[in-house]
Amino acid sequence: MIRLYDYVLSASCYKIRLMAALLGVKLKHEAVDFHPGRAHKSVEFARLNPAGTLPVLVDGDLILTESTAMLVYLAQLLGRDWLAPSDPKSAAQVQHWLAFSGRLAASLGMARLHDMLLYEGNIDAWRAQGHAALRELEAALSERRFAGGVWLVGDAPSIADIACFPNVALSQDGGVSLDAYPSVRLWTRAVRALDRFVEMPGIHRLHELHPAPEVV
Amino acid sequence: MTPRWTATGLSQDLPKAVAMAGHWQGQDLAVWRSATGRLQAWNDRCPHRGMRLSHGFVRGETLACIYHGWVYGAEGGCKHIPAHPALTPPATIRVAVFACVEQDGVIWVAPADTLGAPTALRGLQPLRSISLTCDVAAVLLVEPALSGEDTLRGLVQIAGQACEVCLLVQHGASGLTLHALCAVGADRIAASRWLEDLRRRAERKGTA
Repeated sequence: MIRLYDYVLSASCYKIRLMAALLGVKLKHEAVDFHPGRAHKSVEFARLNPAGTLPVLVDGDLILTESTAMLVYLAQLLGRDWLAPSDPKSAAQVQHWLAFSGRLAASLGMARLHDMLLYEGNIDAWRAQGHAALRELEAALSERRFAGGVWLVGDAPSIADIACFPNVALSQDGGVSLDAYPSVRLWTRAVRALDRFVEMPGIHRLHELHPAPEVV
Repeated sequence: MTPRWTATGLSQDLPKAVAMAGHWQGQDLAVWRSATGRLQAWNDRCPHRGMRLSHGFVRGETLACIYHGWVYGAEGGCKHIPAHPALTPPATIRVAVFACVEQDGVIWVAPADTLGAPTALRGLQPLRSISLTCDVAAVLLVEPALSGEDTLRGLVQIAGQACEVCLLVQHGASGLTLHALCAVGADRIAASRWLEDLRRRAERKGTA
């Protein structure tokens, strides 16, 4: 069974939990005391991942420590539809958004860690970089909408969408509002409307897609 | 005098059964569309605990608060309180309602007692809503083909072709928003890139 070293409040860990849920695969979760225990910085954890970051995915002798690589692995293994079309343009666009998701983590993700887990750093700079990234995402998604599209690459959701979704959907935890980004908001709704979508603290499902509890 | 009708979004960005944040002259609004398509704009504050109703969710013809699920129906009246299912909520639990219409693909809001309709925009199609960190003067400075105060209009060059554009100005607590329209039939991807470029040039010219 594929094991995921996991922390419930981590956007990057959620990325993998969401991908696994959408693919319909169960992972074995190994909870890591990221906060306040900082177990991911321990000597023991460094044997698994010298970089001391989460998540870590282990399948047999394969150890992956980058979340975008985990998305590629899970999709190649279990659901190649999620890789987007393999023509040169689409393949390059997927790589673009996988790399771009790193910029989201370095801006919106850090702003959230600052506000939620008291990370020290330049919060104004993180928020400004977050807005700059959201402007790029908004422009790209608006162009996709003009062409009749919904997703970042191709006609179906792909690992590109899943890579970018968590830190965008959690941006308000870091003091960055999505009010000024209508195409981004509609795209986050499209992700949340996917069959088998799972939540994390700060990202709720679309309640309107389910009956009101009292009339069940 | 500032016109009472203010553009607060584009119809294309508010599908059925979706709520979004809007505002009218500094007043935060929850703008939402019911399952059958009925558009409404309310004070963006749940009377219960003050949560923004624009974070809420639409079920049928009602808007529910995301915090404790209080349900509000037509004219802003509270219809249901999940923690007290047998209670008929008193009529005093009510959200303030604003006038809200859509015309030419633009969502307009005004105080409830506003008469008349917003100015018609003929021959134009909605493009995008964008926020800027500069003021209107900076926009006019970098694009002299545009003129106006609350509605900037003009014939600009987009991808080598003259194109009619219209930018509806909205001032909010977090800065300036422009709701952009362009000539019917114009290439919206090219127009969107022109708009991005206009924002970059205006923001470099000056901040508010």
